[in-house]
Amino acid sequence: MREQEQERQEGQRVISLPHAGIVVLIGASNSGKTSLIQRLTEEGTLRPSEAVSSDAYRILVGDEEYIDWKHRPREEADIVYNDYQRLSELAFEAMNTIVAMRCRLGKLTVVDATHLQAEHRKKYIDLAQQYDVPCTAWVLDLPEATLLERDAGRDHPRGRQRVKQQFGQLKRSLRGIRDEGFDRTYFIKTTDGLQFKRRENQLLVEIGEGMDIIGDIHGCYDEMIELLDQLGYVPDREGLYRHPEGRQLVSVGDIMSRGPQSLRTMSFWMRHVDAGIARMIDSNHGWKIARYLDGRKVELSHGDENVAAELEAYAKEAGQEAANGLREKLKRFLLSAPGHLLFCRDGVRRLVVTHAGIRDEYIGKQSKRIQDFCRYGDTEFTAGQSAPVRKEWYVHHNSGEIIVWGHDPRPYPAVVKNTVNIDQGVVFGGALTAYRYPEQQFISVKAHRDYAADPDSPLIRWERGRFSPPNLRKFVDGYAVQTDLYGEVKVRGELVKAALDTVSHYTIPLEELVYLPPTMSPPPDVAADEAYLEHPREAIAYFRAQGVQTMVAEKKHMGSRAILLLFRDEQAGQAYVGRPTLGTIYTRTGRAFFDAKTEAEVLGKLNADLRAAAYFDHNDTDLVLLDAEIVPWNLKARELISAQYAHVAEAAVMDREQLLGKLREAEQDGREVTEWIAEMEEKLQSAQTFREAFQKYCWDVDGLEGIRIAPFHTLAHSNRTFFGETHVWHMEHSRELTRASSLFLETEYRTIASEADEAEVIRWWQDMTEEGHEGIVIKPGTFIFRNGGSRMIQPALKVRGRKYLHIIYGIDYLQPENLRRLKQRKTGKKERHALMESALGVESVERFIRKEPLERVHECVLAALALESDPVDPRL
Amino acid sequence: MHLIIKAQGEGAGMLSRLLAKNPYNLYDRTDKEARVRIVFTSASEVETEAVIYATPDPIDFVRGPSAPEDITQYINDREFVTSSLFCSYIRAALGTALNGRPKEEYLPWVDHRFGLELTFGPVASNLPDRIVEELFTALGYDIEITRGDGVYSFDLKSRSTVRRIRLRGEQTLQTALRQLFVLIPALDDYKHYFISGDEIDKIRRYGEGWLDSHPQRGLILKRSLRFANLIKQYEEFGRGLPGSSPESDASDAQKPQETQETQASSDGEETKEPKVRLNDLRYAAIADAVEALPSKAAVVDFGSGEGKLSARLVSVPGVKRIYAVEPSAVSQLRAMERFAKLEGKPGVTVPTPVTGSLFYYDESLRNQDVMILCEVIEHIDEHRLARVMETILAEYAPKVLILTTPNKEYNEFYEMEAGTMRHNDHRFEWSRKQFSGWCGSWCERYSYSVEGKGIGEPSEAFGYPTQMAVFTRKESEV
Repeated sequence: MREQEQERQEGQRVISLPHAGIVVLIGASNSGKTSLIQRLTEEGTLRPSEAVSSDAYRILVGDEEYIDWKHRPREEADIVYNDYQRLSELAFEAMNTIVAMRCRLGKLTVVDATHLQAEHRKKYIDLAQQYDVPCTAWVLDLPEATLLERDAGRDHPRGRQRVKQQFGQLKRSLRGIRDEGFDRTYFIKTTDGLQFKRRENQLLVEIGEGMDIIGDIHGCYDEMIELLDQLGYVPDREGLYRHPEGRQLVSVGDIMSRGPQSLRTMSFWMRHVDAGIARMIDSNHGWKIARYLDGRKVELSHGDENVAAELEAYAKEAGQEAANGLREKLKRFLLSAPGHLLFCRDGVRRLVVTHAGIRDEYIGKQSKRIQDFCRYGDTEFTAGQSAPVRKEWYVHHNSGEIIVWGHDPRPYPAVVKNTVNIDQGVVFGGALTAYRYPEQQFISVKAHRDYAADPDSPLIRWERGRFSPPNLRKFVDGYAVQTDLYGEVKVRGELVKAALDTVSHYTIPLEELVYLPPTMSPPPDVAADEAYLEHPREAIAYFRAQGVQTMVAEKKHMGSRAILLLFRDEQAGQAYVGRPTLGTIYTRTGRAFFDAKTEAEVLGKLNADLRAAAYFDHNDTDLVLLDAEIVPWNLKARELISAQYAHVAEAAVMDREQLLGKLREAEQDGREVTEWIAEMEEKLQSAQTFREAFQKYCWDVDGLEGIRIAPFHTLAHSNRTFFGETHVWHMEHSRELTRASSLFLETEYRTIASEADEAEVIRWWQDMTEEGHEGIVIKPGTFIFRNGGSRMIQPALKVRGRKYLHIIYGIDYLQPENLRRLKQRKTGKKERHALMESALGVESVERFIRKEPLERVHECVLAALALESDPVDPRL
Repeated sequence: MHLIIKAQGEGAGMLSRLLAKNPYNLYDRTDKEARVRIVFTSASEVETEAVIYATPDPIDFVRGPSAPEDITQYINDREFVTSSLFCSYIRAALGTALNGRPKEEYLPWVDHRFGLELTFGPVASNLPDRIVEELFTALGYDIEITRGDGVYSFDLKSRSTVRRIRLRGEQTLQTALRQLFVLIPALDDYKHYFISGDEIDKIRRYGEGWLDSHPQRGLILKRSLRFANLIKQYEEFGRGLPGSSPESDASDAQKPQETQETQASSDGEETKEPKVRLNDLRYAAIADAVEALPSKAAVVDFGSGEGKLSARLVSVPGVKRIYAVEPSAVSQLRAMERFAKLEGKPGVTVPTPVTGSLFYYDESLRNQDVMILCEVIEHIDEHRLARVMETILAEYAPKVLILTTPNKEYNEFYEMEAGTMRHNDHRFEWSRKQFSGWCGSWCERYSYSVEGKGIGEPSEAFGYPTQMAVFTRKESEV
């Protein structure tokens, strides 16, 4: 094999150091272990931090390298020997902790100790296995005479007896070492003339001029060539497809089986990989075919039999010899495919390509376990089920690289937490997708036909199952949703039942109810300023205390919350919600926002406007999901305003005007009512403020005239969500929308990065709220923010104006005695709900965009509705 | 909330003495619920005017034990309008006058009919001006009604919903106050209201001498006592029937519940459809249809509401299990009360309440003998219906599916306005042709056969008011 060839260079033996893992030195005292390390360090082959020695750790832990007990009286010797044993034990414990940590990080560690007993060596083998790094043994097998001679010359001689004993131990071990489980074992009789060379991590690749990663091809050669053509690859004279800019081609594997031209596709990739212009990842089908070619007994199924048939046909056509040659070449090619590759730029990992999945801690490492994981994904066999259940490894990806994978076909490229699935099931009649990096673009070619013609294909199963009604029994007695942001969100049965009632009677269809906006808390601390109940200062202080440096303050429109799901056309509606529709507009509790006629008008106008502005083309999307406020308030709340706010205002004004007049008469007649008059004047003023407050948010509309929609979050497009974007991005995107349609209304905002910004925002808030506007919402710069303890913090805090709060806390809430008591309010429950509902909201949109089954989306929405039926002080 | 009492003419100065208040001092009392103040704006022998007003604590007001978790409760007219609360706040301050027990020297004035002007408000009442006027003119007052300011910067309402009432007439102070203490609560709109038994006593005392002869006596009692049993108690007491003393029931306070009128409108499913026992006819028709089936051991009543149909089916021979499936917890609770009464009756299967909804899937409902959707489909948006039917026919696959729905054509027979539906929540109503065509299309897609029937009084031109379809699964293909 190649590695063995490498082990001799210019007649000298070459020992290679792996890029990671453990090198266990084995040898009696005085066999030159420490000297060898010293030499490697001096040569620059090894970094000083890459070697650990038990002697050094004995000093680190217990100040002594060696304790001599042999020249002591017996009663002392026992004690001293025990001390030494204990010191050694703890020194090893400390050292091995460090070794383990280095292994986790994928570092190389050379362990300098005698390691004469198998059990000591096994520890390292286990450790390496646990952290998926290789474990190598270097056995220093020197003559006894040399050892004794060296011992005599050292500072703390171990003594003849001990050296002889150790030599004996080594000799007894020698034969068995190879079978102990080391990935590689070297026997070294002398270090003279030996060369040591470090190997690079074969999984690391430079990104270079960019790359084009191709999804599962499954022998769909024609579609592949079409795709390469679209990507700009041009065949050279030898028929090798090259990109003029020098981009590299990468396959996620499964290039063969099921489809029409497996052999041709495999040959294509073999030639390109051999030429160094392409790379291919190992995969489940690839591995199966490799073992088949290797002569193993494997059962060919799931389309692998097509490959065998093609090979047979080839043998008939080109002769058995040519066929055998091809088989051999293909076997080598497939067996040498890496489980995953790690693409770097400037030494920083950017992108991982794997076939079926990977765990963060596996990235950049190699082991059988990792190979299997990359080939098959996170599989779990459940009793009673013949096929493995795939677990969602990708939801746990947090380490920041983009992971591109295939294996599990879904109708559209699915982006989840920096993972990108590009298997669009071309062989099942779907599409072949390429992911371009660093552009982060998808390019796909539609399948020419459904080659597999499997009536139960993953794409068909996906589609068939998507809109099945959710299983009520899973929810009705309470359940938990696993959210990415908050972890588990639990909802109690009685709350679910209340939500269920709503969903069964009042909401829009389940398939279209893809997100419910989370509730929002006011600042956890009430205003320190005694004239206010709420003030921006406390909101900003909250975020600063959580480690937020920049914030965004957005004007809060006083209208009615609305979610807009807008499709490019009715077909897109069909694909996403299962019926041809231009979209839907619904309230924060999931009810239709408008009557059917107005909704159709609004949707029609928005669709026409967005199309005219080429919004869908420009953003390469079939849908846009918006969280917005629709004004005026009376549009939705006319009855409430009339029966509640206006009625109460009329009562208060009538009462107070009458009484003020009478009190003045009484004063004229000589009664001492000055204080009562002052009180009544103030109260009448409050009543008038209240009466004016809600009129600010109301105006007449005529048809669509007067209706304005203020989007503040663009939640998603097809194929992607925008929770990762900053709020400034969201605001800018809203501006793009306002340019597209006159129905959209821009939202004013400010950023807060400095004390000066803070002062400016407070001024802005004061001016706006004195005019009667509702107030502002302050958010951390990014949509999702975690504090130092990596806990999710409030995604937004509302700060309502002094005047506006009259309609929430009552006409006389500002009376000092009232305000004092109102300031004892508690926001804890509201905050918890805000966090949980935010997490559920993000989760449901992510799932919807991934076109997950209805039940998976709905469980989030139902949970949010359930939380909303849990009573919380509605004034918060 | 305020009351202004003005006496003019002879003896007007006696007003303050009958009220037992020094007109030159301010009256200011705060108890745990409200602050009550009285001030005189004039105090001469020819004109005396007392202004009485109460200020309930706005914070405690909404923090009460029964304060509901609804934002609208925090902006509440109760804090401002004259109501029974107002009467109870000011009762102690006006006790002397109400009871007619001033200092002995003023006793002769108790029965003196003053030239009175009584102003109170704001009044929140759904009674039209005409009725309000009649309430007081019948007692000999001139009445002047002033509305609040109902003009807004946008189109909101045609006029204000609060009124101020000014009465003028000759009356003794005691009677005038007693009349107000009955009529102010009667005017007020408060609906969900805790009425204790001693309210009867209060009305009897305050109404003495004028209420029984009042032409609107019935209305006043109904609006004051709200509940039929309280009104009955009052009437019986008035007639001196034994064993119905209100005192004996004083502790047995009435639970707050909906008024008679509200109950009537929310109760029945059909509001615009004449109640010729069509409901009962439907239940009977369904029960007959079920009884005639060969397999009927397990019946699913989908959308069972308050459980009336399920309760009717318990006595159908051969029915062994009934699942009453309903999404609304409130309805389900009523159904459970109904079912509890069936407990222990011989030969009766007590239905099992199940929380469920047609928009979800519940595997426990698969492969039952009979599934019934009685007046259910018309409550589902038409574009959602297909998915519901697919779940029923493909997943639940009952041996027999029974559907009923209104026959739109028959609405004409009811002389309903064209385009209106029998219930506010109906998403559609179908003609006979529409329904039978729709049923037929489902039979084509799934292996069911269907038979149609009519329920109710037939009309030659329009057919039956209710249409029923019985789908039967074709066993050979199962």
